[in-house]
Amino acid sequence: MKNFLKEIPEQVTRIVFLLIVFIAAFLFIRSNLVPEDFGKTGHYRFSAIDEIISVDIKYAGQDVCNECHDDIVVVKDSSYHHNVTCEVCHGAAAIHADDPVEFTPTAPRERNICPQCHEYLPSRPTGFPQIISASHNPLKPCITCHNPHDPVPPETPKECSACHKEISSTKSISHHALIPCTKCHSVPEKHRLDPREYLPTKPGSREFCGQCHSEDADSEPGIPRIDLETHETKYVCWQCHYPHLPEAK
Amino acid sequence: MEEIVQHLAPLLREISGYIYPNEIELHWGLLVVIYPYLTGLVAGAFILASLVKVFNVKELQPTYRMALLTALAFLIIAPLPLLAHLGHPEKSYEIFLTPNKSSAMAMFGFVYAWYLMAVLLLEIWFDYRRDLILWSKSEKGIKKWLHKILSLFSSDVSEKAVKFDKKAVRIITIIGIPSAFLLHGYVGFIFGSVKANPFWSSVLMPIVFLFSAIVSGIALILTFYVVITPLRKKEIDMPCLDKLASYLFYVMIVDFSLEALDFIHRVYESEESIQILSELVSGKLFVSLVVIQILIGMLIPLAAIALVKILKWPAQLRIQIYFLASILVQVGIFSTRWNVVIGGQLFSKSFMGLTVYKMSFFGLEGLLVSLTIMILPIVILSLLFKLLPPWDENRNPDIVK
Repeated sequence: MKNFLKEIPEQVTRIVFLLIVFIAAFLFIRSNLVPEDFGKTGHYRFSAIDEIISVDIKYAGQDVCNECHDDIVVVKDSSYHHNVTCEVCHGAAAIHADDPVEFTPTAPRERNICPQCHEYLPSRPTGFPQIISASHNPLKPCITCHNPHDPVPPETPKECSACHKEISSTKSISHHALIPCTKCHSVPEKHRLDPREYLPTKPGSREFCGQCHSEDADSEPGIPRIDLETHETKYVCWQCHYPHLPEAK
Repeated sequence: MEEIVQHLAPLLREISGYIYPNEIELHWGLLVVIYPYLTGLVAGAFILASLVKVFNVKELQPTYRMALLTALAFLIIAPLPLLAHLGHPEKSYEIFLTPNKSSAMAMFGFVYAWYLMAVLLLEIWFDYRRDLILWSKSEKGIKKWLHKILSLFSSDVSEKAVKFDKKAVRIITIIGIPSAFLLHGYVGFIFGSVKANPFWSSVLMPIVFLFSAIVSGIALILTFYVVITPLRKKEIDMPCLDKLASYLFYVMIVDFSLEALDFIHRVYESEESIQILSELVSGKLFVSLVVIQILIGMLIPLAAIALVKILKWPAQLRIQIYFLASILVQVGIFSTRWNVVIGGQLFSKSFMGLTVYKMSFFGLEGLLVSLTIMILPIVILSLLFKLLPPWDENRNPDIVK
């Protein structure tokens, strides 16, 4: 054994010694710095859950609001804002639920609150009511015309762009800018009041676009034309071409 | 809120087409460009060093130790841009203490530690051990003790021990080559595995990163060798320099072919993203990709080195052309990193618009910090040159072959 140890080169003993020191230091540091309950139920400190539970609750939740303000909640729940809980606008209200007299939640009346959701943004979904606040009844607080608990517009929208802002903005810079929406979509009257129940139509045949774009169409010169008999006959036009921003020049 | 709007307003004016709101500002900036550039230099310099030990390229012996020290200096600094970018550098040790095996980024800490300790430091120690002992014997004061401590108080300089050192260096280098591949391949992996980004998501990414890393590493050593040797008032070893240039040339050919393959593959596949990517490459990335990366950083140096080889120009002219070519290659590879990191974030995931990158000067993500991080390895390297002179004349005669 003694001879065998002597055979080990000096370099190896030094490196191995260093390695042992390094591993020992690592294990020592690790045992001191890694919390004992780390990894018990996942890649986190288990006691962190209790710490988070013990943090004061700020939000009461709509069910608690409903206990006293059921008249308002009923109205809101059948309105377009049924997915927006009370505390989205009124702020965290757990403290109010605990002591309704001492603490009253805020009721926003300024004009800058509603545009957080309703200001025009191209990435908002089609049909979501959007306004450009700079030009939409400037200086008037939203609540003078809209009841936030049942936010139907005071007047039925006359223009499609009132709800379909993105499409109308896109169309306004396209070659189809001057074509009214109703040229291609027939819109039931009830769509204005119940847009998701009564949907407008879409052109269902190739001949519809062909009225302007087929080779023999009686339309202005300069409009791109195709041969309806041979041009991608298996598809309706809008399956490839976006009619609100047609790409052909 | 007001602050964010003010910050984003100037960017909004430069956006073209349609982009999602969270794509206006780039999340990975200049620091993340520097990080793969630095690790690339480390891997490249090490691969060059391994040519001497594993593949027995004797001509490159004068650059062997320099390449090792360069790799070490750049490796020490390589994580700094990440730490600066992430914020909270004081928490970074936690990735070692509680390793998260499902996070590729967290695992990098281990790849880095393995490469630093098991490969580079060990190889340098075995290679310098005998010199450290002999230096400490002939020196006085702090330097004597520094060298003594660095040699781990080793004292055996017998022929048997030196033979063992050489064998160890060879084995470590053999382990080191896949480790260097892993180190930089990993960086390519991080980008290549981002499924949602068609500019990055490619299995070729780690390989392309690796070869560009070797290109940049060889070019860096060539630059250092050409600059430092006259400063030391020594003659440049022409066979060594010619060999360096040859290797640079060959690896650049492979790198260029791989990048061309990637390009052709993308164009042929012609996925839905191809339109926005071609708009990106022919527009916002035209200067940095087509002009700097491909023309200035690849084709011109390739042509220059090829001309030198064909026309057999005199030594002085060769040195100047090699030097210029290596500088251009550095610029080109930096541009490659820029185009991958910044370019990959310039187009919208809607494939309908492009955003813009505005670099700040001050601040943790700014140009000033980035320049400091880029200069730091050179400062460290000059200190290492003082502490562990890599030059042949400092070696004990019977080690030099």
